[in-house]
Amino acid sequence: MTVSPIGREIDRVDGPLKVTGSAPYAADYRPEGLVYAYLVQATVGRGTVRGMDVSRAEAAPGVIAVFTPFHPLPLKSPSGESGENYSALQDTAVRFRGQIIGLVVADTFERARDAAALVSADYTVTPSRTSLADAGPGVPQGLVQKLAPGVSSIDAALASSPVTITTSVSQHAHHHIAMEPHATTAVWVDDQLTVYCGAQSPQRAAATIAARLGVEPAKVRLICRYTGGGFGQRSPVWNEALLCAAAARALRRPVKLVLSREQVFTAIGHRAAVRQTIRLGAEADGRLRALSHDSDGELPAAGGWQMMPGRDTSAVAYRTPNIRIDQRLVTLDTPPTWSMRAPAEAPGMFALETAMDELAVRTGVDPVELRLRNYATEDPVEGHPFSSKYLDECYRVGAERFGWSRRTALPRSQTDGDWLIGMGMASALYPAWRQPASARARFRDDGRVAVASATSDVGTGAFTMLAVVGADELGLPVSSIAAEVGDSALPPGGVGAYGSSVTTSTVPAVQAACRAAVKALVQSAVDNPRSPFAGLAPATVRYRQGRIEANGRSVDFRTLLRTMGVPHVEAVSTSAPDKSASQYKFHCFGAHFCEVRVHRLTGEPRVNRFTSVFDVGRVVNAKAARGQLTGAIIWGIGHALLEADPIEPDGRFAAASMADYLVPVHADTPEIDVHWLDRPDPHISEFGARGLGEIGLVSSAAAIGNAVFNATGIRVHDLPITIDKLL
Amino acid sequence: MTQYEGITRRGMLGLVGAAAATVPLDSGAAGAQAASGEVTVRMTVNGSATSLTVDPRVTLLDALRERLQLTGTKKGCDRGQCGACTVHVDGRRVVSCLTLLATLDGASVTTIEGLADGDRLHPLQQAFIEHDGFQCGFCTPGQIMSAAAVIAEGGARTDAEIREQMSGNICRCSAYPGILAAIRQARTEMR
Ligand code: FES
Ligand code: FES
Repeated sequence: MTVSPIGREIDRVDGPLKVTGSAPYAADYRPEGLVYAYLVQATVGRGTVRGMDVSRAEAAPGVIAVFTPFHPLPLKSPSGESGENYSALQDTAVRFRGQIIGLVVADTFERARDAAALVSADYTVTPSRTSLADAGPGVPQGLVQKLAPGVSSIDAALASSPVTITTSVSQHAHHHIAMEPHATTAVWVDDQLTVYCGAQSPQRAAATIAARLGVEPAKVRLICRYTGGGFGQRSPVWNEALLCAAAARALRRPVKLVLSREQVFTAIGHRAAVRQTIRLGAEADGRLRALSHDSDGELPAAGGWQMMPGRDTSAVAYRTPNIRIDQRLVTLDTPPTWSMRAPAEAPGMFALETAMDELAVRTGVDPVELRLRNYATEDPVEGHPFSSKYLDECYRVGAERFGWSRRTALPRSQTDGDWLIGMGMASALYPAWRQPASARARFRDDGRVAVASATSDVGTGAFTMLAVVGADELGLPVSSIAAEVGDSALPPGGVGAYGSSVTTSTVPAVQAACRAAVKALVQSAVDNPRSPFAGLAPATVRYRQGRIEANGRSVDFRTLLRTMGVPHVEAVSTSAPDKSASQYKFHCFGAHFCEVRVHRLTGEPRVNRFTSVFDVGRVVNAKAARGQLTGAIIWGIGHALLEADPIEPDGRFAAASMADYLVPVHADTPEIDVHWLDRPDPHISEFGARGLGEIGLVSSAAAIGNAVFNATGIRVHDLPITIDKLL
Repeated sequence: MTQYEGITRRGMLGLVGAAAATVPLDSGAAGAQAASGEVTVRMTVNGSATSLTVDPRVTLLDALRERLQLTGTKKGCDRGQCGACTVHVDGRRVVSCLTLLATLDGASVTTIEGLADGDRLHPLQQAFIEHDGFQCGFCTPGQIMSAAAVIAEGGARTDAEIREQMSGNICRCSAYPGILAAIRQARTEMR
């Protein structure tokens, strides 16, 4: 009898390869005849490249080619995709500092890098727009408004509220800092291109590369079996990968381009800087009458991802009769922006949950109680019920595990030596998103079942998810499943690893594919003349735990396939959400509780401990779930205390290296107690899983900020919360 | 109760960087000068005698990855800021991106590929799997090589010490709690 692996502590199936250094990432491939490329980037913030001197680079030893706007590689313009809105080297415009203006190819990495440093450029410079703070309100892009009958405006609703809170917060650009810098190895064989390149959505990326190179989609295969982190930065295809593929085509030999860490900061999009204002109107007991959320997000002229931080946060979080969300975008001459883990929800909920904490302080209502008083059982704007919401239980269980009752509301009232101790909490939510997805299950004559889907495992545990769900569905041990992802040549319909949607969407597809493969196996067992079951009616043959059984005979599928002389039997299935799903609002929920200490004399803030409880539907693999949730909470420590890349007036990022842009290190990481309620979502799928890769980051920074206020009495509105702001 | 650590994260990064920088000074030998300005370096890599003639600009990291096809060692920053490239040189952990190959004549290098005992995983490798001490896996070879050296140096005695001593190895997936648990477990098995 096989025990179902669902929800258990399952080791990652890709673990042995990763701990031995044998999992190949994009830069680890070494095709015959490989040469190396290196980028040249603009050193002014905006303008035109008047001319470039490439003579010294071209004369340098080992240099094979130097491409510039004056000697370009052909690329088509992007069409209809968001992201960068231009193709590199196709014109002489400089849209931002760090834009690619050249590509040097040489026989070794060192020679390419040093030759790139010999390329010089002359520019005509025009002033750049770089300051979000000075730009004023942006252009409204996403207005959401619901007013109670008889209320003329949100301002009127706020004005008539007994208590009002106005909170403005800001944050600078954030960078994903996936540990693997962007890398591409491009290999053409005749007119067929294979690209090894980290990608969150291999099929979409392959299609984009084909379109931009002007070749048939079938001519491009993208392989990203192992990818050193995604977090959003690998969902689009950036100019660098396109240039690498174009150079390999032009030079008729494989080319590898690995960005330097510093180049990643500008050649690849960042999370937009954003400024937000929350206005709350409430009764004296804290019940909300009105909620207004305004935002101004950076949107680069060069293109990018639109920062809409109110839509999936303030428009969903609390019950209130009057809501207005005004999301505005400000055009700046900055490097492209892109979605970054909990892209809008992390900043949006930092704003809202900071304001809610201020409301708790003002009304004297306990922060947990305040949230319960404003508990929403349906989407406050659209009125759809939530498919499954146990946030109240998250608050209760979290408060209990954390010891919230020991908190004192008065700031600076708890100390430990020279440290001021504070406790804070915040609620989290993140949309659950099920997309149509496809998967393939293949019984193989080596005794294993290959379960494949053209998604990507960027560290999220997708390989293991396929293995666990396949094993459960087929009644086999996890080790009998060979999971495959990260290849655009897998059956069409793999979902991209973004929006926390891979598990939600792919689990039903894997189940369907396994069921269909069993059917196909049974069919082939009755059809194949060499089969011991030949000629039986399919209905009399049954599959159980890897065996085919009928008439008292039982044969394992490996033996059956070998007897029949069939190497494998497979099925591909697609699974899509039910029509009835549209009547529900699907979200994950959570509650963070955090304790910080702030040094009385130096102002140094440190996180002591976290307790977070989540309602994420049914969990596939406890180990991977814990990793995703704790990892994201640690991102919240970065969001609250460390991460910021201010931009200088000339368009240069001030912190474009790993020494200057600080991300949490081991010593920044406290004890983190993560817990989830095991409550399958009855409406999202038969299985009931909702994705959980991002929710941990949502509001963890707010919990820290609220705890810092409780420790010090200082409310920091401009992130990150650094020593200078606490003195 | 929480331990309050004395060393800052910057201090830690500095220590790792300093360790790397001392390797060239200590190892002394500059390597034989080859005719074309290239240098020939003879060293032991994962127990095998290896000779390489290279451009003097080549780092140990690039030599391992691009010349010896030992791609388990990763390049996360090329600046000594992330620890992904950590290997052992003569038993000490160094960031291979800040170590010029030309300084390693006569040295003995161990990389992640040389850690397991044949098919039997090293206790740290096994513990990283059991405690889920990674997600994307890109920082993992460096984490494991650092951890092996930290334990061998007699460090990693407390959680606070592990956190400090491992702070030169950044994991953006933030698998730190799993890494901590893995080192705790392997520490016992390795001693
Ligand atoms: S690659 Fe050597 S420390 Fe980052
Ligand atoms: S496992 Fe991804 S960076 Fe550490």
